[in-house]
Amino acid sequence: MRSADALLEVRGLTRRFGGLLAVADLDFTVRPGEILGLIGPNGAGKSTTFNLIAGALRPDAGEIRAGGEPVAGLPPHEIARRGILRTFQHNRVFAGMSVVENVMVGAHTRFRAGLWSIVGARAGARAEEAAVRARAEELIGFVGLAEWREADVTTLSFGQGRLLEIARAMAGDPRLILLDEPAAGLAPAELDRLAALLRGIAARGIAVLLIEHDMRFLLPLAGRVVVLNFGVKIAEGSADEIRHHPAVIDAYLGDPAALVDAARAGESTHAAA
Amino acid sequence: MKPLARWLAAALVLSALAFALSSYHNDVYRKLLLWVTLALGYNFLFGVAGQVAFSHFAFYGIGAYSIVILTFQAGLPLPLAIVAGVALCVAVALAVAIPSTRLEGFYLALATLALAQLFIVVLNEGGAVTGGAGGLADYRLPAILGVRVTGPWYTVVIVLLMLGTMALLARLDRSWFGRACRAVRDSPEAAAAMGVNVARTKVIAFTLTSALAAVAGMAYAFVDNTVNPPIFGLENAFLLLFMVIIGGAGRQAGAIAGAVALYLLPFVLSPLIGHHHALVFGVLMVAAILLQPRGLIGLYDALRRRAA
Amino acid sequence: MRDLLELAVSASATGCVYALLALAYLVMIRPTGIINFAVGEWAMVGAFGAFLAVTKVELPYPVGVAAVLACMFVVGWATERIAVRPLVRAGAPLLAPILALLGMLVVFRESVALAFGPDPYPVPYPLGFGRLELGPLAGSYQSFFIIGTTLATFALAWLFFERTLAGKCFAAVAIDRRAAALVGIDRTRVAALSFAAGAVIAALAGLLVGPNVSAHYLMGVPLAIQGFTALVIGGVGRVEGALLGGLLLAFAEQLTARYAPLPPGYAQGVPLALLMLFLLVRPTGLLAERGARA
Repeated sequence: MRSADALLEVRGLTRRFGGLLAVADLDFTVRPGEILGLIGPNGAGKSTTFNLIAGALRPDAGEIRAGGEPVAGLPPHEIARRGILRTFQHNRVFAGMSVVENVMVGAHTRFRAGLWSIVGARAGARAEEAAVRARAEELIGFVGLAEWREADVTTLSFGQGRLLEIARAMAGDPRLILLDEPAAGLAPAELDRLAALLRGIAARGIAVLLIEHDMRFLLPLAGRVVVLNFGVKIAEGSADEIRHHPAVIDAYLGDPAALVDAARAGESTHAAA
Repeated sequence: MKPLARWLAAALVLSALAFALSSYHNDVYRKLLLWVTLALGYNFLFGVAGQVAFSHFAFYGIGAYSIVILTFQAGLPLPLAIVAGVALCVAVALAVAIPSTRLEGFYLALATLALAQLFIVVLNEGGAVTGGAGGLADYRLPAILGVRVTGPWYTVVIVLLMLGTMALLARLDRSWFGRACRAVRDSPEAAAAMGVNVARTKVIAFTLTSALAAVAGMAYAFVDNTVNPPIFGLENAFLLLFMVIIGGAGRQAGAIAGAVALYLLPFVLSPLIGHHHALVFGVLMVAAILLQPRGLIGLYDALRRRAA
Repeated sequence: MRDLLELAVSASATGCVYALLALAYLVMIRPTGIINFAVGEWAMVGAFGAFLAVTKVELPYPVGVAAVLACMFVVGWATERIAVRPLVRAGAPLLAPILALLGMLVVFRESVALAFGPDPYPVPYPLGFGRLELGPLAGSYQSFFIIGTTLATFALAWLFFERTLAGKCFAAVAIDRRAAALVGIDRTRVAALSFAAGAVIAALAGLLVGPNVSAHYLMGVPLAIQGFTALVIGGVGRVEGALLGGLLLAFAEQLTARYAPLPPGYAQGVPLALLMLFLLVRPTGLLAERGARA
């Protein structure tokens, strides 16, 4: 594909930990508004890739471009400024703030008022604050947490914390949301809700890059899938192509449960189709 | 205009109180107001931004000494001395804060503890400039435009300083900046992932609150008309931390409650236990952390909930 | 030259006291991650204990010291139970017990002030007052006693951490608390023991330095700062680091006081300046240790 269409373009991305090659010469692109799944067995380099894109790790080699601009090696807050926001695998909500304030932190990069106009309580600063608060409340409704809007976040369940993290990332008006194993630790009913939510996000034109272990959750959801094993891309394609790809079946042979999951995921999509 | 009216009413009531008090009680009242001012600033630094620093009281001292030295030794006019003193504190605060932002948790506390102790060494060894162990005395607030502010009127100046500090910090706390500070306190990684520049947020919070402490110190310099090293020692730096924790860290009402309670407690306790009120402070500190981490203000909330 | 050698003995003795305090921090930081700033107060309590047991009650020195250290073992254990364990159990952030221990610091100090008042009390010399010459080295009996006792303590600590299973358990808890729990190491017990050991080591430092400075209720915080500085210089990673840090700090202090063209008061600033410098410029040792938890 032409790189002008790519929201995020990863070329030759490489990262070592000591002698271990965690990610090797990885290429892929994320297009606007799509849901791209990144899967692989444990230790395949998914989380490393994620952290390289989010700025939590620096690559040893390779390029990452966001909307054509090179962003590899930038610190996390600069990545966020460029419209790429993430969630954490183990929820990292801000425990000392209400739900709505948590979401408003996500809009940090959207604020234009300087400290002087805040101290002076200038009309512009106040209007901006009110607008961001209204938008945060809208997003809390969007992820289904409206009832808990003013709640203390420590009272939320794990699944609600995950939804809060998604709302928080949405508040930054992202072009791309990075989700690190969002299905982990969720009950089946919560999984359905999460899948619907992610489709809703993509429908708003926001691209979703999803790292997932749970193929049953991922395959019906993702438009395209990139499969990693030992840091190397072994396959890329639609969910159906991936399901029947010999290299993928090989990679998951050590993990029969995952294969069964993948097969079931196939059945459920076929049933739905 | 409703909030403005509330601030004006507070200023009027707190100022009026000064005229009702004797000159001894005015002195107690001024120091109480200054403790509240310091606790409000320290609450922002420790309670909101999550930085444990022991340098807050040293900056109070730098402010007090710098105004005296700049006005009476360098001969600067008062307004210029205030600006120069604040600039000096900002420079010192930046010099400490920029490298310290790499330190996490209690390591910042120990670096700033060393700074605070070093400040006392410099005061003691500063010769004629700082007056050594005896400090500086025998000076009076110079007249501004021919007016000499004295007595209850000087208390009014401190009331306005306290309310100004409170309003400024309350506005910052409710803005994106306050949320960024809390986010950095609760989870620096998540804050950075939301676009918050963690190092810069920490440096701004530290420098700003240090400068506010320095301004309070400048006001203090003309309360006793003497500045000397023991006032700015470690004891009071600890007391400030205890005030904010016992009152309830992270909330202005908590900082105010803690400052008022711990400042006034010795007056109540001294007939009973003499000068050993610090023992009570220590016990209260441990009890607050173990039993009521939200402090006095959390206790008040809990009682009100039970009553309702 | 003679002057320098004399200074070397006295600086070594002072450095040994700092090293013991650094070791007290270290035995608590290793398994718990908690910086217990009350070690200085424990040293102060140890010095007062020696005064009480040996001077007042007139127990023989070894018996008196053993009694004091046994009491401090209980004090350390109790401190952990009161100010640390409930917070760790409640899942409070690491800062909470550190701040609670600051409260305990004030409680210790003010309790002693309440009991003894503001006057200094003499702490007994174990070997009496006198001067020993060992070849070119010369110094007071007390200096040599401090150095000998400290070296013996460090030898024991080193053997414990490097050679015994229990010592490895301490390290295992520090490296990965969850894994330590999985292999059946009782974390709370290790934490309590580490505080008990920390109190004993700190008290030992206090009763060793006591004869030279007298027991005074305000002696704790300077010792706490000096011990922590020694720890920062030496690094948390190795037991020998505490000894090295203590000696380096004491030599830096005494050499500047003696030879640097500074007013004497500024010599007090040396450990403070060193602490800031090391924290700000070389915090790698510290931060690597803390980062290992993540």
